Amino acid sequence: MINDEPDARGLVSIALQTFRDSVLPAIPAERRFEALMIANALSIAERELAAKPEAALEAQIPQLCSDIDAGTYDAPERQADLRKVLWELTRARLAISNPRLLDPVPPGAA
Amino acid sequence: MTAEAPLLDETRLPRLEAWIADKAGADRVTVVDEGRLSGGAISLNLAVTLEIEGGAFAGRHEAVLRTGSASGVSASLGKAEEGMVLRAAFAAGARAPEPLFISDPAAGDDALLGAPFYIMRRALGVAAGRKVVKAEQPQRELAREMGRQLGLIHSIKPGTAGLDFLPMPEPSPGLQCERDYREWMGRFAGTDPVLAYGLRWLTLYAPPAGEVVLCHRDYRTGNYMVDQGRLTAIIDWEFAGWSDPMEDLAWFCAASWRFGQAGREAGGLSDRADFYSGYEETAGRRVDQEAVAYWETAAYLRWAAVAIQQGMRHTSGTEPSIELALTGRMLPEIEQDLLRHLDSLDGRTLFGRTA
Repeated sequence: MINDEPDARGLVSIALQTFRDSVLPAIPAERRFEALMIANALSIAERELAAKPEAALEAQIPQLCSDIDAGTYDAPERQADLRKVLWELTRARLAISNPRLLDPVPPGAA
Repeated sequence: MTAEAPLLDETRLPRLEAWIADKAGADRVTVVDEGRLSGGAISLNLAVTLEIEGGAFAGRHEAVLRTGSASGVSASLGKAEEGMVLRAAFAAGARAPEPLFISDPAAGDDALLGAPFYIMRRALGVAAGRKVVKAEQPQRELAREMGRQLGLIHSIKPGTAGLDFLPMPEPSPGLQCERDYREWMGRFAGTDPVLAYGLRWLTLYAPPAGEVVLCHRDYRTGNYMVDQGRLTAIIDWEFAGWSDPMEDLAWFCAASWRFGQAGREAGGLSDRADFYSGYEETAGRRVDQEAVAYWETAAYLRWAAVAIQQGMRHTSGTEPSIELALTGRMLPEIEQDLLRHLDSLDGRTLFGRTA
């Protein structure tokens, strides 16, 4: 396959930058909420395109869900261990969807 | 529903006026359309003024006409049913907007506007969460008042006339909710381990079946109106149903609805203690902190299920919308709040079982 440049990430990135720098300041107040949503959507897309999905981890997720459903993690200490894994998965997704909400220190690391 | 076509066109407007005149026993009714009100991802709210000549309703009434077809969110009531819930809440003395006229599907009223609808009195004030929580000092009295109001709403019990359409939870409110959320989440319940864990947790720690009351089920900052620091109306009743009263208290206090005032756990207004003490003044029951902790877990799962459904309304192609699309991507932040809450319960005993 021939690689065209810039790639999707590069295009989204420059589109977002142009939108923020040149277009957003000129948007009338009654359209500002929508404009901010557009900027937000583009910035999520940009971060997602930059992220490297961990295929090995992804493959284990359905099994993890069935194990949870089956009660494998019901004991309180196993729940605590499970929550550590779930925190990692959630923080990785939050880093894409809304990184401002990430705690600087991950839970349990203090 | 298209944005450009007015709801009250030249065919519908006179039919609506005749319908109101009939309901109100009036000689003549004029409806003045004042345009759409903002808010509500699901409903259409139209500001209207009713000029009524003769009959019990004679006079000028500033009102809201609320309609909208069944949404993609499974739990929402039809508008005629919502109107009946509002009528019960108003009768119980809660500050719900007074419903004036409710369409009766059995009488064929839905044909008037193409969907069920009702007309209620219009309240003054703002509902937007960020504006409501904006205050230098904690809004202790408002938090207490929100508690008192919830106590009044919870005085409505199964068997209340006009509310037979609301289903009873089986075998208990907690287990019914777990089943409902799992269904609303669809495939996400099997592909997102945080949701799978949350649902499992709801089964493990479910309170035994107890007293069931009318719950608002979206009782939170953003869904009530405030004018100069005082409550004017509790709105958005479309998710109401019979449940454990502690469900509404937990929803109000969940981290999702504090709008930047994270330290004011009661809806971004004030401490939980203020909200709880107001509740106990009118409810005739104590706040059960164990049950509130359980229902706060349920709150994050419910909000996750709703966010998934909102996202799906966009993704499925039925209702392309950037707002709905972005709501679908709020899942990780809802799940972070869920995990924080479950970490906070580590080692506590809930209904005889260690968390």
